[in-house]
Amino acid sequence: MTRMKFLSLLGAAALLAVAPALSPAAAKEWTAVRIGMDATYPPFESVDSSGKIVGFEVDYANALCAKMKVTCTFQNQDWDGVIPALLSGKFDVIVSSMNMTPARAQRVLFSDMYYATAPVMVAGAAIKGDDISPAALKGKSIGAQSSTVYANWLEKVYPGVDVKLYPGGDEPFLDLASGRIDYVAGDILVAEKFMEKNTNCCRIVTKIQRTPDIFGPGVGAAFRPDDKDLAALFNKAIAEADADGTFKTIAGKYFKIDIRGK
Amino acid sequence: MLEGLLATVLDLELLRTYGWRLVSGLWITVQVVAMSCSMGFVLAYPLARARMSRRMVLAWPALAYVTFFRGTPLLCQLYIVYYGAGEIRPLLSEWNVWWFFRDSFYCCLFAFTLNTAAYQAEILRGAILSVPRGQVEAARALGLSPWRVLRHVVGPQALLIALRPLGNELISIVKASALAAIVTLLDLMGQTRFIFARTFDFTIYLYAALIYLAITEAISRLWGWMERGLARHLVPSADTKPPARRFGLAGRGRRAGALPRRA
Amino acid sequence: MPAFELLFGADGWAPLLVKGALVTVALSLATVPLGFGGGLVLALLKLSRSRVVRGACAAYTTFFRGIPDLLSLFIVYFGLQALLNWASNHMGGGWRLEMNAFVAGVIALSVVVAAYSSEVWVSSLQAVPRGQPEAAMSLGLHRGQVFRLVVLPQLGRVALPGLGNIWTILVKDTSLISTLAVTDLLRAASEASRATTRPLLFYTAAAGVYLAFSVASTIGQAALERRANRGYEDHGSRARGVA
Repeated sequence: MTRMKFLSLLGAAALLAVAPALSPAAAKEWTAVRIGMDATYPPFESVDSSGKIVGFEVDYANALCAKMKVTCTFQNQDWDGVIPALLSGKFDVIVSSMNMTPARAQRVLFSDMYYATAPVMVAGAAIKGDDISPAALKGKSIGAQSSTVYANWLEKVYPGVDVKLYPGGDEPFLDLASGRIDYVAGDILVAEKFMEKNTNCCRIVTKIQRTPDIFGPGVGAAFRPDDKDLAALFNKAIAEADADGTFKTIAGKYFKIDIRGK
Repeated sequence: MLEGLLATVLDLELLRTYGWRLVSGLWITVQVVAMSCSMGFVLAYPLARARMSRRMVLAWPALAYVTFFRGTPLLCQLYIVYYGAGEIRPLLSEWNVWWFFRDSFYCCLFAFTLNTAAYQAEILRGAILSVPRGQVEAARALGLSPWRVLRHVVGPQALLIALRPLGNELISIVKASALAAIVTLLDLMGQTRFIFARTFDFTIYLYAALIYLAITEAISRLWGWMERGLARHLVPSADTKPPARRFGLAGRGRRAGALPRRA
Repeated sequence: MPAFELLFGADGWAPLLVKGALVTVALSLATVPLGFGGGLVLALLKLSRSRVVRGACAAYTTFFRGIPDLLSLFIVYFGLQALLNWASNHMGGGWRLEMNAFVAGVIALSVVVAAYSSEVWVSSLQAVPRGQPEAAMSLGLHRGQVFRLVVLPQLGRVALPGLGNIWTILVKDTSLISTLAVTDLLRAASEASRATTRPLLFYTAAAGVYLAFSVASTIGQAALERRANRGYEDHGSRARGVA
């Protein structure tokens, strides 16, 4: 093949790769919904060895989509950019254990709450004692995922302490296990899931009170403020999943405690 | 009135609230870059010598080192150092170096230094090899010791040839330092991402871009000034190309790729 | 669990790593026409007669060469998103343009590669002896033909070393895409190491694959250079006794 032909073939191949991606998609009557999640948060969402996103919220979202009679696709999105990605149209809804804080409610529209769990302080194996007052933690390092309610809480309550922020949801626990940091502020179920696989790494010290201004009442799905119709569809499906026991079945597969919250 | 004018161009409110974060991040960036570049330079000379050595026991490991650090992404190397250290923590504690690898600043310093040493070694190697062998042989024939040959004959000429590529490498490190944010170090890029996650205001990325641009332009101009000052005694002849072209590294902007200076 | 089990066992992560490696290769190859081609266009514009055009191109190059590639990727990525959003809103009828992360990554990388490669193209355009295009034009060929038949074939030979450098940088820069949730090789290694808490195993495996790409690229580049340089003799360096 001559060089020019080869080059133009390469160029055409590149264009063909781009073209189908720039496809117009009809909105408004919802037949296909794109769900964004940060799949670094087992057991709620994570990536398995075949590259698929799996977890409680995946199963729950699939159940909701079945009730709404829409096809749902899942996209992985880093947590830091999840709200900008939603607002700029990369996907239509965030189902990623997002707590409904007042600050976030100013940017996005939230669905009804679908679960609520306790935030906890987890200590590394080397830490003795349960005192987590700011005075006791001076000079220690605490980790949390960045842009989460836990990070915000740490900043408010422990202003002088070395707070380390991580891009992924499971990364603070990895550093806790290796001893790089002393404490982690996170979700109780995520912590327990991590400790299942890494026994002896750490222990839960105490639960943290869910103050409404920092933590909000619980977790909900987030939509663009204009997509009130999609939010209404989701709310209906959430109520249906409660009524016919779908939520209980799915949650029962993953958790021993009741996480529905009210 | 000036404020009003500035407010139309810059987002003063954003800068007022978060400006201190950008400054703090910038300081971390400067530290990381300065320290890793200079330590990398110190490491690069022996590495370059090892690469050029005729003894296999020196040349092969040096080649392996350079190939690895130039052939894999810096981000991958950073992950290996940062997360790998966490995995072998018991071993590191035993050797009493865990305190070093525990800190993300030192981890970044370690990874960046090793990385830039490989690139600088190649630059120095090319520069040393560019000095005509005849000069070295003549100097040895005159009875100069290897150290004196380096100090008076090879060194000055090699450093001058290496000047432009080393400047490019410094600029590369400044840009690569942005990766430190991914392992929790709050350098300029890290603070920028933090502020973006708070405000969702895209312009913070543009401010960070302007700051980086200012740094790289300043380095570029400083290097150009140094080059002009140090190479004053050289007259470019018709058939010698400017040093930058010899290494396939065209310079920045029109200055470097432009016509040779008329003597 | 032993390393072999983690990679190739029933729930092994090797397939994901292979998929990631393919995505890396695909990202790099897809960027070549857009990035290097864009760089050539940029270089031609830089040699234009209009000062405004030259200035704009210089500004573009200075900007994308002066800021971290990670930052460039973010800016282009989010900027593209905003652009598509704006376009969708103005298209009316409720249509929305989508773009997947892979394509966005290719475009972002191409923007950066175009800036880097334009410098190489400029020096190679200037390396073609001025007499040749002039002779071609005096023979009656018009400018397009002169470029296509006389200048372009010679560009490759001079530009190859510089472009080869940029290709290596490109392959390594694809790892930055991992921060934008595209499952390339490094992202696959990240996910595997997080799930198994064995970062050393997977990150060194990924490094090994990148190394293999790098060595293959070096060999390929040397072969291409030998082929491009057949018929040319090196007069300068050997005569002057430089190694």
